[in-house]
Order: sequence, then C-alpha cells, then structure tokens
Amino acid sequence: MKKTPYAELLAMLSRHRGVVGSFVVSERDGLAVDSNVQIGVHSDAVAALAASLHRKARLACGAAGSGTVTFLRLDAERGGICAAGRDDLVLVTISEARANLGLLRVEMMRAAKALT
Amino acid sequence: MRIAVERWMEEPLRRFIDDSRVRIVLLLEPSGRVLAQHGFTRSIEVMSACALAAAIHASAAEIGRQLDGTPFTALHHPGARRQIFLGALSTSRGAYILLTVFDDSSSIGLVRLYFTELGARLAAAAPAPAATAPAPGLVDFESDLNRNLAKLFGRI
Repeated sequence: MKKTPYAELLAMLSRHRGVVGSFVVSERDGLAVDSNVQIGVHSDAVAALAASLHRKARLACGAAGSGTVTFLRLDAERGGICAAGRDDLVLVTISEARANLGLLRVEMMRAAKALT
Repeated sequence: MRIAVERWMEEPLRRFIDDSRVRIVLLLEPSGRVLAQHGFTRSIEVMSACALAAAIHASAAEIGRQLDGTPFTALHHPGARRQIFLGALSTSRGAYILLTVFDDSSSIGLVRLYFTELGARLAAAAPAPAATAPAPGLVDFESDLNRNLAKLFGRI
C-alpha cells in the first residue's frame, strides 16, 4: 500500500519513548488521514474524539480572544493526549506517563508546521 | 416525551443523541415503518423521511450487491451546512436503519463511533424476539405506521 505524505512524520513521533500512537486527523470530519499506532489502540475512536476536542479548544480560544490554538495537552492517570493543529489537520499523539512531554511538544510543534 | 415506540430502545438512543450531538434521528425498519424519532416536529415529515430513508437504504444495498457482491450498509452525504448518515443495525429483533442529520456540532467520525456503540447497546437491550409473525400486509403496515406515529407524537 502506498504511504501517505505523513507516514515518515508519524513514524518519527511514534519512535519517542512512551508514545503509543500518533495520527493526522481531519478536524472537520474527525477521521484519521493516517496513523501509526500500537496494537490495542482504538484509533478511530481516539481520532474522532481528539478532533472534536481540538475543535472545541479552538472555538473556546477564539471566544476568549486568545487567538489560534497552538498546542493542546490532556493529562490523564496513565498518560495523555497531545494535539497540534494547522488548518483542518490535527496532529495527535497518545502517550504513556513515562513519555518526555517537553521533547514531544517541540517535535509536534515542528511537525505541525509541515502539515498541509 | 418518548422518542421510541418500544421502551428498550429509549436509553440507547438517548445516549447516542447526547454523545454524538446529532440534530435529527430516525430509527426505522427496512420496510419504512418508524420505530423512533428525535428532532421532528410533525408526523408527516417523519413519514416522508422514513419512506425516503428506506428507499435510499434499499438502493444502496442493491448497488453494493451489484458492485461488490455484498450490500453497502452505511451511507454518508455531506451538505454545505448539514450532513446525513444512514446506517444499518442488527439486533435479535431484526434489522433496523438509522438515519441521522448533524451539523458542525458533530462530525462523521463521531457519528460513526457512536453509531457503532448504539448498535452494540441496542443488540444488548433487545428482548428476545416474539413468536414469528407473518409479514404485514399493506393495510397492517399503514395501521402500524399510524399507530407508531401517534405514540411518538404523544397522541396515544
């Protein structure tokens, strides 16, 4: 199967310690454009919900006069979800608690700039 | 106000509506008989939507059979402001069709996700099928349809 233009980018993010999955998601549709996930990750569900979350964060920041959302981080008991968007595309990662979130954030912000 | 003709359908459907943030929901049998509705204000609109949904589902299923050997079971049509999703569900009570209309408050990804959950919840909630009944004739169909519409719009 032919690789998408995002395959290398997602593979790079998924190589980070503690990252169990990464996606490029269409914010409007909530559908994964491409993904690189470990077995057991419910990728369709995470893609749809993360896209919805990013959209609501964008609307909230707009309403608050804070401008464009650049990075979204959701911490949970055993890990978290990070998202960085550009236009209609959102880059999403799922990570375990042991992930280096600072490094992941830098890599995601850089990678999000390449999304078209 | 009740949204379903049969009580066991109420909770799964309400949960689907709350979770997916869809505007309109119609659950019907493949024959076009309505079983549940949310978002309509007039019974005549429900009747029209049921007839159209049943026809679209039958056409899509037949196109799928001819192209792919198996019926297509879901259809998504995005409009400028609103989108429709039509999908088939299976329970021990038989096959159902769900027609739903949504806007920017939701997305096709969310609708598909919660549609899958709805199918599982309906299948789990469905009581054992009643003794096999003969297929309804046209007169029975119309009286069933009218009775269901009356229930859904609070006339019974």
